[in-house]
Amino acid sequence: MSLVEAPAQRSRLGSSADRVGLAALLIATVCLVAIGGKWVSGPLTSVVVLVLLAVIVGVIVLAWRGGTEARRLLAPYGLLKPGMLWLGLFFLAPLWSLLRISLSTKESRFDINYNFSWAFENYQTAFTEFGGQFSRAFLYAGIATVLTILIGYPLAYVIAFRGGKYKNVLLGLVVVPFFTSYLIRTIAWSTILSDEGVVVSFVKGLGLVPVLEALQIMDNGRLLNTPAAVIGGLTYNFLPFMLLPIYVSLEKIDIGLVNAANDLYSTNSAAFRKVVFPLSMPGVFAGTLLTFIPAAGDFVNAQFLGNPNTTMIGNSIQDQFLRQNNYPVASAMAAVLMVSIAALVLLYTRLFGTEDLA
Amino acid sequence: MNRKPLIVRSGMTRRQFLARSGALGAAGLSLPALLAACGGGGGDAYDVFFENWPLYIDPTEGETIGTIDRFAEATGLTMKYTEAYNDNNEYFAKIQPVLGAGKTIDPDIIAPTSWMAGRLINLGWTEKLPLADIPNVANLDDGFKNPTWDPTGEYSLPWQAGMAGIAYNSDAAGREIKSVADLFDPAFKGKIGMLSEMRDTIGLILMGEGIDPSTISTFEEAAPAFEKLEKAKADGQIRAFTGNDYTDDLLAGNFAACIGWSGDLFQLETESEAVKFVIPEEGGTRWADVMVIPKGAKNIANAAAWMNFVYDPEQAAQLTTYNMYVSPVKGVREIIAASDPDLAENPLVFPDEATSSRLRAFAQLSDEEEAKFDEAFSAITGA
Repeated sequence: MSLVEAPAQRSRLGSSADRVGLAALLIATVCLVAIGGKWVSGPLTSVVVLVLLAVIVGVIVLAWRGGTEARRLLAPYGLLKPGMLWLGLFFLAPLWSLLRISLSTKESRFDINYNFSWAFENYQTAFTEFGGQFSRAFLYAGIATVLTILIGYPLAYVIAFRGGKYKNVLLGLVVVPFFTSYLIRTIAWSTILSDEGVVVSFVKGLGLVPVLEALQIMDNGRLLNTPAAVIGGLTYNFLPFMLLPIYVSLEKIDIGLVNAANDLYSTNSAAFRKVVFPLSMPGVFAGTLLTFIPAAGDFVNAQFLGNPNTTMIGNSIQDQFLRQNNYPVASAMAAVLMVSIAALVLLYTRLFGTEDLA
Repeated sequence: MNRKPLIVRSGMTRRQFLARSGALGAAGLSLPALLAACGGGGGDAYDVFFENWPLYIDPTEGETIGTIDRFAEATGLTMKYTEAYNDNNEYFAKIQPVLGAGKTIDPDIIAPTSWMAGRLINLGWTEKLPLADIPNVANLDDGFKNPTWDPTGEYSLPWQAGMAGIAYNSDAAGREIKSVADLFDPAFKGKIGMLSEMRDTIGLILMGEGIDPSTISTFEEAAPAFEKLEKAKADGQIRAFTGNDYTDDLLAGNFAACIGWSGDLFQLETESEAVKFVIPEEGGTRWADVMVIPKGAKNIANAAAWMNFVYDPEQAAQLTTYNMYVSPVKGVREIIAASDPDLAENPLVFPDEATSSRLRAFAQLSDEEEAKFDEAFSAITGA
């Protein structure tokens, strides 16, 4: 009898606890966004703070008084609270500010007050004037991502399957250069690729300059300040972000599966194609996201390794914010970048699936 | 088959863990004390706070006493000096929300470039200088009196001035370079650098087109220069738009020629025979970093004492000997000639009449026009 009754009772308690927990979470988040996004000001702010505290304390009291069952059901919401509150204050509130400013105008560049006026012309400006930078950013980031897969996958494979006791050392060697600052690594590349530097002298010595110029990698006998240098910089800087997720997913593959394939008359390369590679796809998927998204918004590589014709959208957004003091258009550009990347990621997810990201 | 065990022991007992974390905690607690001991005093008490560009003031080393210490000896006032001013726009972005809201910033004196000072003065974010307390203002060189960025001369006093002209690497270029037109020579395709400072780049190109940049007031008047620059960029003539970082590329020969600043070139010319600086035939731009007092500064009287001190020719001479920029103070050349005749003849630090007459300061633009200039320029630099 208890087996039949208990589940119904539990689900009633469960759904009301769910409602309470969810409501508390939402109210707390909205309070924080209100404070951070300046929806309220003056004495109203203290009211909102009180509501926030009341909700947090209220949930704790409910869990305390309610008994073990209520505690167990409310626990997930309690555990989610710190994360959601952090996101609310430091992500959602600034996002709200950004969207609001992107639809506002300012009297003069040096004003600090905005007039919110559904100014969609900011978005129009963002598309028409900076279309080139957007497409270049996605192109360079896309090529860099493909290159990191081509370089990172074999490396991860060797470390995972042939590393043996040197696995950690090898992984450490991959990661050690990244103890230095991102900026310094990029500037170091501009020294390595310089006109009198190692790489160009080597290429000239081998007489490969005409070949590389035909491939559009070199320009007028130089490697620095070309699109190839920018893409190279992006590839180098984001290689660990691709390699480590692929390594993690390759490491979990049981080598016994390959042996089983061999037992079933498969060659090693077919075993790789049909067994190992599909199992490692989640790692490639995660690595792609971790590489493409930051690379699309990057501005450091284009600044140090590129020329005025290779600027990316990150450079333009930085310029609009810091030099032109044109916050409305800059916010519109940032919003467009976010939405385009989100759209691309959704499309990618549809195509490749996320059932097994772990 | 090598299967990994499902449960991995961390290999540390609870006792070991507690012992190690205790040791770490003890170390962590003693760290602040250690840091404080080696960090040194540097407290919060100062009489005047000057925020300036880097490498702009002579330090105290060995036997030479730096300007700040000499100031402290002469007047008994302690100065807090920081070199946090790296870029005009970056600094403006920092102070805009503060001064725009009517609040005050910490420094009592800042030294923006002239056009930025003009912008601050027009926005009403600077205090009038107590010129009555600065008798040495009489030593201000005539060329800097009532400048375009401060027509009444009541809000700013130049710190150091300089010129922008063409710097070239004669080995990489293969020949002498004398005019702005040489920068657009197709033989130098992909080896030309220009500055990301709009007024120096566009100023030189305007003079190349025969337009005087000190008299323009609208964007249309400067449009020919922008078109020329746009075409050069699209053709791949320009390798990069740089800030201060053109010096390495010039030394290495990555740039055959670039637009550069006189003070930097002084150092470069000593490092390499091939690097030369020239004010183009058509003309060069003159700029100055000027001292202004932000609105609401607390120590205006002490700031005036500082300005009076550095406008004494003796002090100004020592400053110029160190940073090699053009001094706005009269009489510096004679003082330097006594101890270092070569420096007194150096055209980068003491330009002769012929060169000075070719220099122009960029006109001060109104906010709307400046916005148009900045927008057009950033569309070209691609940033």
